[in-house]
Amino acid sequence: MDKKEINQGVKKVIGQVLGINKNEIDDNANFIFDLGADSMQSIQLVAAFEEEFGIEMEEDRALEVQTVSGAVDFIAEQLG
Amino acid sequence: MSDSGKQIHDNLHTIFHPESIAVVGTNRTVGTVPHDIFMNILKDNYQGIVYPVSPGANSIAAVKSFKYILDIPDPVDMAVIVFPSSVAHMAMQQCGEKGVKSVIIISAGFREVGGAGIEREKKILEIADKYGISFIGPNCLGVINTDPAVHLNASFARKMPERGNIGFLSQSGALCTAVLDYALAKHIGFSKFVSFGNKADVSEIDLLNYLKDDPETKVILLYLEEISDGRALLNTASNIIADTGKPILILKSGRTTEGAAAAASHTGSLAGSDEICDAAFAQAGILRCQNIEEMFNIAIAMAYQPLPKGNRVAIITNAGGPGVLATDAAIQQHLQLAEFSESTTARFKKHLPKTANIKNPVDVIGDARADRYDAALSAALEDGAVDGALVILTPQSMTDIDSIANKVCEITARHEKPVYTSFMGETDVSSGIDILQRHNIPHYILPESMCTSFSRAFAFQQSLQQKKEAVSPCSDCERESALKIIESAHKDFLTEDIANQILRAYGLPVLDGKLAKSGDQAVSIADKIGYPVVLKIVSADIAHKFDVGGVQLNLKNAEEVKTAYQAIINSVEKKRPEADIAGIYVQKMAAGGTEVILGLKRDQAFGPVLMFGLGGIYVEIYKDVEFGIIPLSRDDMDNMIKGTKSYPLLSGARGRERSDIDSIIDCMRRLSQLALDFPSIAELDINPLLVHSKNNGAAVADVKIVLNKDR
Repeated sequence: MDKKEINQGVKKVIGQVLGINKNEIDDNANFIFDLGADSMQSIQLVAAFEEEFGIEMEEDRALEVQTVSGAVDFIAEQLG
Repeated sequence: MSDSGKQIHDNLHTIFHPESIAVVGTNRTVGTVPHDIFMNILKDNYQGIVYPVSPGANSIAAVKSFKYILDIPDPVDMAVIVFPSSVAHMAMQQCGEKGVKSVIIISAGFREVGGAGIEREKKILEIADKYGISFIGPNCLGVINTDPAVHLNASFARKMPERGNIGFLSQSGALCTAVLDYALAKHIGFSKFVSFGNKADVSEIDLLNYLKDDPETKVILLYLEEISDGRALLNTASNIIADTGKPILILKSGRTTEGAAAAASHTGSLAGSDEICDAAFAQAGILRCQNIEEMFNIAIAMAYQPLPKGNRVAIITNAGGPGVLATDAAIQQHLQLAEFSESTTARFKKHLPKTANIKNPVDVIGDARADRYDAALSAALEDGAVDGALVILTPQSMTDIDSIANKVCEITARHEKPVYTSFMGETDVSSGIDILQRHNIPHYILPESMCTSFSRAFAFQQSLQQKKEAVSPCSDCERESALKIIESAHKDFLTEDIANQILRAYGLPVLDGKLAKSGDQAVSIADKIGYPVVLKIVSADIAHKFDVGGVQLNLKNAEEVKTAYQAIINSVEKKRPEADIAGIYVQKMAAGGTEVILGLKRDQAFGPVLMFGLGGIYVEIYKDVEFGIIPLSRDDMDNMIKGTKSYPLLSGARGRERSDIDSIIDCMRRLSQLALDFPSIAELDINPLLVHSKNNGAAVADVKIVLNKDR
């Protein structure tokens, strides 16, 4: 899976969890500051990424990822 | 006021009086801090405009929401940041770009969690500095202003407090919620209520300075966990008290003795951080409180009633027992029972039954109703020999509690003397207490607390009258000579011969003496300075000379000196074989006198501290010592001496000759100068200072100095 596909998958997940249009999500957007994720939604995002990409994310490290592009890079690294 | 001081003052004024507020990072989730703060501002009837800033919502509680603060079309006076700490800097950056100068950061996760939190706090400070923003927090409960023109509850407290004239500042947010709950139950009102958390930018000093000029605030309460700049706190507090007469009450937690444990001198060991804190607060006129209850007991007395002009109280009671309890407490608290004038006594006789006690405490008898309280209280307050009244009530079957409470309120309002009350009990008296509290009449469950509060209020009133006389600078102290001696010291612990040279340079009364390297040399020195003499071991490795047999007193001739010299050497070599012995100090034996101790220590928060007390080898057992923060006024020094239990030994008790107290004061003045001139002196003990009879001076019998050259 290349980064473009991962990017689309990440935006789809964010759109579903936060209830926003995936096409309006900027690559540099911060989950909390720009997209309005609260603490519960931040945890839900990690779980949804794991399910979408079939990976297991170490929670503390995953929660340090705060932006869309950061999530794409992190998931790409996990997928090897 | 400096430019930066004025900027902080102005920015703080906006925090308390904003015309518009943005709650940055709020959300729709009920029961969360970001949501509840917005709702508190809204529901508690804030008089300005509030904007929710919430990137994930179009509206909060039917109020249009903005994605960013920058999207708000109108100017914003103040921002409350409730975003998590990880993005608080982004919110702060946008506040700066928006031109907001006043911010409260509620979020936790900064310096208090260490590691990355410290970096996050630095980052928001940098942004604040760049844009000239003043901010309260982070990690705090928020701010409340009860002024009806503003009516702001920018906090996540459950309820808005009543309006009042007490300003409350707290480092702990959780304590604030408990205090608010406590105060609500007792109808205690506040002018400003501030939780300042990590005080990364706005400190307690800034807030105290703000409340100094706040016309709504009459009494200031402060809860502190750590004192970052003790000297600034003392200066600010004493200025506020002197300039405005506003009392400052501080509850300071963290009473540790860790600092004292590692000390090498008596002064270091006796001067724990808490003892120094007590002394520092007292010196600045701050009223230190032991707990929340005591703090509010005193606060309501000072906020609700005029300060007592004297300590003569009239106790009015409907029960003998509580009257006696109150009398005991009053006397214990250094109050006096007022002696009524003849006309007052005549009024009592006219209106009270024959069985009533018309002397102080006035017992209006168990069946008294409001008319008797009216007669007794009015007559007492109108007596020139009465400075205040203490009204006690016990609920008996014929007692019309509410009527009496109303009557007390009515009479108090007509007079300019303080009236405190104690309606004893719980259930039956509750409605009466409620009436008193709603009318700002201080009420106490126990007569003892009532007397303590009256006494503290009176002591504060007295301290306002005390004009502190500054001590003259020490013009004959030879700083350069002392500097050379200190600079050439090889070890931190100075031996007695070196320490005496420093004291001599500062004009302290040091006895003649010289270091001897042999028994013959000791005899030759003794012959020169005259008998009797004292011999003392000199070694930088030995702090407690007596413990190793290193001192021989009252040696009257050459033979005794020679024998003593060898005895000391033998004893020390046996008990401390590793000690490096520089020689033996031969010193003139001092004439007898009262043994006192003088000491210096550096306190982390308050700087140089002077200690005075009963001296001698049992100083750490009796612990009869007082502390003062340098610089000290003449009155401060007097108070330190008079504050010790053993003061009568100096002042001439039981036929003793009065000691030369002026010479102690002179030594204190010179030591204070030494401490100010040489921050490298970490600890110093003069123990004992032998104080002779009046006009005959004093003599330093032994001294110990510990340096810390890193300072």
